[in-house]
Amino acid sequence: MTGNLKNVNVIGAWLLGFLWLWPLLYAIWAAIHPIEYQVRFDIFAPLTLFNFKNAWAQAPFAQYMLNTLIYVTLTTSSQFVVCALAAFAFARFEFPLKNVLFGLVLIQLLIHPEVVLIENYKTIRFLGLMDTIPAISLPYIASAFGIFVLRQTFKTVPKALDDAALIDGANTLQILRHVYIPLSLPTFVAYGLVSISYHWNNYLWPLIVTNSDDSRVLNVGLAVFSMEEAGVEWATISAATLMVTAPLIIAFLIFQRQFIESFSTTGIK
Amino acid sequence: MSAISIKKLNKFYDSNHVIRDASIEIESNSFTVLVGPSGCGKSTILRMIAGLEEVDSGTISIDGNVVNSLHPKERGIAMVFQSYALYPHMTVFDNIGFGLRLEGQSKHEIEAGVSEAARILKIEDLLDRKPRQLSGGQRQRVAIGRAITRKPKVFLFDEPLSNLDAALRVQMRVELAKLHDQLTATMLYVTHDQTEAMTMADRIVVLDKGEVSQAGAPLELYNSPKNSFVASFIGSPTMNFLNARAVAVTKGSVTIKLLDDLELKIANGDTAVSVGDELTLGVRPENLSLVQTPKAHCTGKVSVVEQLGSQTFLYLETVDGPLILEADGSTKIKVGDLAPISFDVKRCHLFNKHHQKI
Repeated sequence: MTGNLKNVNVIGAWLLGFLWLWPLLYAIWAAIHPIEYQVRFDIFAPLTLFNFKNAWAQAPFAQYMLNTLIYVTLTTSSQFVVCALAAFAFARFEFPLKNVLFGLVLIQLLIHPEVVLIENYKTIRFLGLMDTIPAISLPYIASAFGIFVLRQTFKTVPKALDDAALIDGANTLQILRHVYIPLSLPTFVAYGLVSISYHWNNYLWPLIVTNSDDSRVLNVGLAVFSMEEAGVEWATISAATLMVTAPLIIAFLIFQRQFIESFSTTGIK
Repeated sequence: MSAISIKKLNKFYDSNHVIRDASIEIESNSFTVLVGPSGCGKSTILRMIAGLEEVDSGTISIDGNVVNSLHPKERGIAMVFQSYALYPHMTVFDNIGFGLRLEGQSKHEIEAGVSEAARILKIEDLLDRKPRQLSGGQRQRVAIGRAITRKPKVFLFDEPLSNLDAALRVQMRVELAKLHDQLTATMLYVTHDQTEAMTMADRIVVLDKGEVSQAGAPLELYNSPKNSFVASFIGSPTMNFLNARAVAVTKGSVTIKLLDDLELKIANGDTAVSVGDELTLGVRPENLSLVQTPKAHCTGKVSVVEQLGSQTFLYLETVDGPLILEADGSTKIKVGDLAPISFDVKRCHLFNKHHQKI
């Protein structure tokens, strides 16, 4: 019985895996073969890089790539700073209304970013940041998820280490920098990976606050590119899609283990 | 001059008054042990000296300067924790050198400081390891090494040996005593283990419920305890206590009567005792002896025999109450025997109903 069940599970997992992999496999097929093979399967079809060249020439992907890198780096590094400081305060200090404030942070976890889209848009306009990269980052920097996950990790650091560091002559920020952060490195890596993949894939908010190639990110650029004229071929779109997703896929393959651990362990302790 | 001077120290946790008017003087270069049962406030006092706990009232001075509001690093102290509190992500070298690094010392100075400490503690070959690769005894050495490099005026030890096994504890006790001689620094050591206190201290401070019960040299506390708490806390096995009543008081002695009408004349300098007072007789196991029946003060039935080799402890049931007696290692007495007992009346203690020695 358990043996059979296990077989069903394994077969099911493979089927689902293949189902999810199928579009990617098709995209690779379409991207590396001439246009006439985009809906025809022939194992001996000639290989070509023409589609990549074509896509690269049709839209400023290099600019999009640079914008995305700036956006993702800016967001994730700002999140590290803001969340680490907030989490440290919640984990180790007593201050008035601490629990109320932490409750508000938790409530933020329940609110989908799209719900506050219009308010965020108004704020960005008020700040005069429309169509800039910081405008894409700003709403995500005080991440409730980041604060929560880091607070949970910081709470597992033994208090005696604070005492030892105080006696060694460390001030509060030095304790955070030399004791808490190094001891929480796996959480930072896991959270960073989640954050990077989320922001790399982020679409709606960047679409709304950007309207020029100077600030557009890859995902938005790709969508604009594939919508522009009805005449764009699947082969070109596939090549462009592969270019857009490649960095993330490579990063996933490298950090696979941390990535999966981050989803299975964060916040449970 | 005192290295540490504590005056009228008080500490509250919410409404719990955990340190009550404690005043303690600690001599320069002494090895002083703060001892007491768990919850007596000994660690709290240590943490207040270190600057890890706020002082509610009273003053703490180190080398003549009041340090109440100074940051721990400005107090000239170093501390060794019960849990060692080594930084798990740093090597032994970095653990020992962390304080120097924070002081902004050069790489060269840090290296010199760390190797000096490593040499004293014989841990030179462990410097590249992480704390998790060390045994308990090695971790403790690293923790002590971290304290040494700061060259403090005062070393504070918070039950540093209680996580070690018995054999290692005895060994570390000896090494700490040697270290004290080697460094000629003031050491203040907290423990609940009276054996550690007796063997290591120049001076012991006994704490009871947040108050200083008695302070003095180890043998002074052992031989002349001021009250029944100190009498029972210092010494192992513990002192025997029997209920008694004063039946005759003369200048220099009190005659007491125990439950079985046994009368003992105890030398006593104090005369604040009147006939009829309820008293407690305290006598240490080694001041009771097995004698020939005619000389015995009373007899007791042996319930347990503990043979330690050089001596034997007999647990006796008498009409006056249970007694522990230290006999010779070669005694042949068995469980169930009736043992004739004699009291060394010169070395008996009397306590009044307020537990104070009279």
